[in-house]
Amino acid sequence: MILKEYKYELGKIERGYNNRSLYINVGDNTIKEKEVTQFMKDKFIGGKGFGLWYLWNAVTPETRWNDPENEIVIAHGPVAGITQYPGSGKSLVVTLSPLTHMPMDSNVGGYFGPYLKFSGFDALELQGKAEKDVIIYIDGNKGIVQIMESDIEEKDSHLLSEILTERFAKDEEDKKNISVVSTGSAADHTLIGLLNFSFYDIRRKGVRLKQAGRGGIGTVFRDKKIKALVVRFEGTKGNLNNPADQGKINRTGIKLHKEICDLDDKQNRMRKIGTANIIEVMDEYDLLPTHNYKFGCHKDTYKISSDKFQARVTQGLPDGCWYGCSLSCAKAADDFIPETGPYKGQKVIVDGPEYENAAALGSNIGVFDRDGVLELNFYCDTYGVDTISFGTLTAFVMECYENGILDKEKTGGLELYFGNKEAALELLHQMSRGEGFGKIAGLGIRRMKKIFIEEYGADADFLNDIGMEQKGLEYSEYLSKESLAQQGGYGLTNKGPQHDEAWLIFMDMVNNQIPTFEDKAEALHYFPMFRTWFGLMGLCKLPWNDIAPEDNKYTDEPAKIPEHVQNYVDIFNGVTGKNIDKHELIVQSERVYNFQRIFNIRMGYGKRIHDKTPYRSMGPVTEEEYLSRQERYDKQLKELVGFDPEGKTTQEKMAALRKYREEQYERLTDAVYKRRGWTMDGVPTIEKLKEIGMDLPELIEVVKKHL
Amino acid sequence: MIQVNGKEFPWEEGMTVRRLLELKKYSYPRITVKINGQFIRDEEFDTKVIHDGDEIQCIHLMAGG
Amino acid sequence: MKVLRKNPEQCIECHACENTCSKLYFKEENPEKACLRIKETDSHPQITTCTQCGVCIDICPVEAINRDKNGIVRIDKKKCVGCFMCVGFCPELAMFMHDDYIEPFKCVSCGQCVKACPTGAIYISEE
Repeated sequence: MILKEYKYELGKIERGYNNRSLYINVGDNTIKEKEVTQFMKDKFIGGKGFGLWYLWNAVTPETRWNDPENEIVIAHGPVAGITQYPGSGKSLVVTLSPLTHMPMDSNVGGYFGPYLKFSGFDALELQGKAEKDVIIYIDGNKGIVQIMESDIEEKDSHLLSEILTERFAKDEEDKKNISVVSTGSAADHTLIGLLNFSFYDIRRKGVRLKQAGRGGIGTVFRDKKIKALVVRFEGTKGNLNNPADQGKINRTGIKLHKEICDLDDKQNRMRKIGTANIIEVMDEYDLLPTHNYKFGCHKDTYKISSDKFQARVTQGLPDGCWYGCSLSCAKAADDFIPETGPYKGQKVIVDGPEYENAAALGSNIGVFDRDGVLELNFYCDTYGVDTISFGTLTAFVMECYENGILDKEKTGGLELYFGNKEAALELLHQMSRGEGFGKIAGLGIRRMKKIFIEEYGADADFLNDIGMEQKGLEYSEYLSKESLAQQGGYGLTNKGPQHDEAWLIFMDMVNNQIPTFEDKAEALHYFPMFRTWFGLMGLCKLPWNDIAPEDNKYTDEPAKIPEHVQNYVDIFNGVTGKNIDKHELIVQSERVYNFQRIFNIRMGYGKRIHDKTPYRSMGPVTEEEYLSRQERYDKQLKELVGFDPEGKTTQEKMAALRKYREEQYERLTDAVYKRRGWTMDGVPTIEKLKEIGMDLPELIEVVKKHL
Repeated sequence: MIQVNGKEFPWEEGMTVRRLLELKKYSYPRITVKINGQFIRDEEFDTKVIHDGDEIQCIHLMAGG
Repeated sequence: MKVLRKNPEQCIECHACENTCSKLYFKEENPEKACLRIKETDSHPQITTCTQCGVCIDICPVEAINRDKNGIVRIDKKKCVGCFMCVGFCPELAMFMHDDYIEPFKCVSCGQCVKACPTGAIYISEE
């Protein structure tokens, strides 16, 4: 039953912009168009810039994630939707997160973003709360937006996406013109719900899912009683952005296709196995998170190494999550048969595993079982659960269990020790059903710590040390313990410890390329700013550095992949007709990055105290951990701390090392804040805002109170 | 003694680049090696000899997540 | 199946083949719009031709490239979304892009270039 229908004039994209956005309130069924102003384009560009701007104007500092005023904003960006350059179909999703209570931004593939763009809109705002589940449908060829009551019983994404693709497509041929945004049953019962964005795989004749994983956006979606968003657009061509210089875009795209064709096999093998190619590498370098980040390797990692997954995922298919992505990293295991749960015995497609899943659902929880990882991956995706948060919180739970903080009585019978695959799966199924210990686990680590301390009498210091969350968000799957730069790369972020801002472990620990505080601060300025840019454009970062030109290693700054930076400048200028260079690119990001920091401050966070990190992310919490790296730690104590380990107890050595590392982190924080133009409390100064052209009255009003 | 990525490392007689990579457990394929500022081509890893006192850089081009 | 084959030693670099092809398909004499290429080098010219190998068929994300009933690999330009992955992945570099068009173009073994060639440097082979 259609609750509201809105007809709109089809338009034309001009140099990457429709210059309008779509606003939908599912509480009162308002549907309207809004102008995308020159101011928005100048200051916020697109993508998460638009998302943050719309969200800022929708909420007050008192707004909670489950208030009707909270918005979910989906925006692509000016470059998104071109078909020639790999990784050009991304969307950015922004909302107030149930985990962090601050703005969360998440980057996701699939066809929804480009189709939303071709339908006529630079962003989609979703506000309000419906009384009963609704489905929103956008027909980008007819110029119709509909809010309809949902008549669908199924709750899980792999079914919802299939059903809705089938329902709205004219015929089999038309299915590739549909994209569905949905989540799953667990998003109704946990705070770690994600959004799945679909694309139809014409060769597999099945739906593929990409994830806006972090931060509980799917939970907000379900809180608004939105069942799904569906967009239909027929007529994708390479020039729908009406770019200023189509030829330049084509040539740059072809150059990268050729590079990937010639070099991917001997570089990262993305076309064969995607990001999972680094599983065994991380293990070899003692960086694979194992047993709640206690260790960096395990004797059984070979059971989940990339070749085990490569054997299971179907090779040779164009797996790009938008047209023109020849990096094609979205691998899928076909005809997978789950052994547990509601889809036990049925053939399903498992989209994955990405590296994060192999670590989160594998080594970090001790499950060294390829098919176990795939089954956890499948159920997380279809239930709408963030694999990273699930893995990291389950690892926390397992360590609590092994330390006697939890027991069978508290977990309702689940024996959650490291490596118990069945218990991990059952925990996930409980999240879907909304019952048992799964409900508690699904609240996330921060809330679990509070419960375990207050209700089970657990030691607060220990839990705060081992609970790998910061700002309320679970850490993603890299071991920052021995890399001060990566501790900052995780801890000094806007949204929480997600690695999309900076990934510096090798540069720091292995290559030793950023030895001083200033070097690290420079890296923690450049890389977050550079990587933020992808989120303004609707681009994927993988084609930036998961493939590199043959001669890249001979350039001045190989870690930046200079030729690819120029590619991005070229395609941005090629679409928009502007004339930026690689420096202006950074300033574009700085504007949005500082805006997000101030938004965090406005919501009551965003200061130095919130940038502190759990000790497990910085050093050995337990004797077990110290002893596993004793030689290295003893040497550091002697050489760096000036503390002679001879004759000292492990406890004494751990205390000395901890003091040193915590001081180092403070000094790093000082250096980074200085480089970013912030006060020592982490507040952007008015001078900095003026420098980047973001001295907006609403921002000055917020920072004034904290300067 | 040689320097590898700015840190001291024991040298052995007849040490090739390949041998150094083995000793350091640098198994990642995308590595650039420089000896005293000079790039060493991948094809030379098995034959190029490192001398006592050399400064080696082994830069891993790791993209990460 | 008819395939365009080459004897580069016999080529005199007159470019008649390229001009004939582009005139036929794009209404102008322009080697940049031809489905084969003659590149002049210090010794024999380098002739680029499509071998109808079909690698591009599996590369295309929208299945716009298929073999016709004679085995010739053809592009359905209506389906094509202009991503040019086929251009990047062609082992012969015989899939072409020109700025004036948003779809790529390729040789379909029509043989008109062969008729224009004065020396027999290119020929249609029945395979």
